[in-house]
Amino acid sequence: MKPFVYLAVLLLIIPVQASLVAPLSLGGIRPDLALALIFVIGLIAGPVEGAFAGIAIGLIQDIGSANLLGLTSLSRGIIGLVAGLFGRRVLDLESPTILLFLVVFSMAEGIYISFFLQTTSGAVPFLSLIAGRIVPQALYTGLVGFLMLHLVKRKKVLTMLTRRDIQKEL
Amino acid sequence: MPGFASQNRKYIFIIFIFVVLFWLLTVQVKNGRFLFLERPVLAVSGFFERIITGSLNAVDAVSSWYGFLVHTDRENHRLKEEVEHLRLDNSLLNELLLENERLRASLDFRKLQPLSAITVQVIGKDTSPASSTVTINKGSDSGIRKDMAVITSTGVVGKIQAVLPETSKVLLLTDPGSTLAVRVQRNREEGLLEGKLVNCALKYVSYYADIQEGDLLVTSGLDGIYPKGLAVATVVKVTKREANAFQTVVAEPSVRFSRLEEALVLTK
Repeated sequence: MKPFVYLAVLLLIIPVQASLVAPLSLGGIRPDLALALIFVIGLIAGPVEGAFAGIAIGLIQDIGSANLLGLTSLSRGIIGLVAGLFGRRVLDLESPTILLFLVVFSMAEGIYISFFLQTTSGAVPFLSLIAGRIVPQALYTGLVGFLMLHLVKRKKVLTMLTRRDIQKEL
Repeated sequence: MPGFASQNRKYIFIIFIFVVLFWLLTVQVKNGRFLFLERPVLAVSGFFERIITGSLNAVDAVSSWYGFLVHTDRENHRLKEEVEHLRLDNSLLNELLLENERLRASLDFRKLQPLSAITVQVIGKDTSPASSTVTINKGSDSGIRKDMAVITSTGVVGKIQAVLPETSKVLLLTDPGSTLAVRVQRNREEGLLEGKLVNCALKYVSYYADIQEGDLLVTSGLDGIYPKGLAVATVVKVTKREANAFQTVVAEPSVRFSRLEEALVLTK
C-alpha cells in the first residue's frame, strides 16, 4: 500500500469505526472494520505489510480504548501476517469462500481475548460471549471484509491505493 | 545461518515485536494498564469523531426538518432533555421513598444532595473487541473531570476515564476494567460489580446472602464516585456451589448500551 493510505488508515480507523460504523449496528453487533481492513491488506500487500498494519492498527485501538497495550495489536499483527502468508498463493481472491477465513480469524481473536480476560480478570461468560457477540460479529465482519476486498480489487481503487509492484502482481 | 537471518530479517523483526507486545501485556497484568499516548490518540480520534458525528447529525437534522418541522424538532430535543432530567429525579425520589419508609424513625438521616448534571451526546463507540468505552462530545471546557459518574434516566452508564477540553472517554459498566460498589435494593446486601464485556458479575457476595434473580442492584455510594441509590443492573443468574465461599451472580446492566445516544455527567 502507498504510505499516505497507511497514514489515512491510522488517523481515521478509530473515528470511522466509532462513529460511522456505529449506525450499521444490528442488535448491538457491529462489523469490525479494522480487522477486515487488516485482512485485506494482508491479502493484497503480503505478510510483512499485513503484520505491520495489524500491529499498528491494533496498537492505536489499544491506546484509544480501555485495553491493555498489546492485547489486540498482538492478535491483529498475527492475523495480518497469516492472511498475508495464505494470501494470493493459497486463497482465490475471487471466491466467496475467502469470507470464511475472515470469519475464522475474527472468531479466533474473540476466543483469544475471552481466554485472556478469563485468565487475568476471572470468570467471563464464555458461552454468552461466543453466542451473543463473537460469532455474530465474525459473520458480519466477514461480509464487510468480502465487500471491502471486492471494492479494493477494482482497477481504479487498486491503482490509487497500492504500490506499482503490487498492482503488477495482481 | 547468517544467510537465513539476512533473508528473513523482516520476519525475525516481526516475531521480535510480537515477543515485546507479549512481554508488555504480562507487565501490565501485574502492574496495571499503561496510559501511554492515551490523550493524543483521544484528541485525534475525538476531533474526527466530532466531524463525522456532526456531519451525520446535520444530514439527520436536514431530513427531519424537511416539511416545516424546524420548531417541532427543536422543541422535541428540549423536551427530551427535560424528560431525561425528570426521569432521573423520579428514580432518585423512588429510592428516597424506599429509604424513608425503612428509616423513618431516624431523625438524623442524611438527605441526598440534589444532583447537578451536564447533558452529553455519544459521538463514538468502542472500536476494540476487548473493551467497552464510548466517546462523548464534552470535556474539561464544560466542567467534566476524570472519574465523574455518567448516567441516564434508566441507570448508571459508567465513569469518565479520560478528559480533553472538548471530548471525554467513558468507561462503561461492562468493561473488564470497571468496578462499582453496589447493593441489592430489596435487602441492602453489598457487593462489587465487575464488567464482563456482555454483562456484569457481582463479586464477593457471601454464599449465605439472599440474592434472587430479578433483584435490582443500586449504587451504594461507598466508592465515592456514584451517588447512592442509582439503578445499575438486574440480577439474571445466581449460582451457588458449596465448595465456594461466594456466590456467582450475573447481572444485566439497566442501560442498553447499544442504544445509548445521550447521557448525563454528574458534576456534583
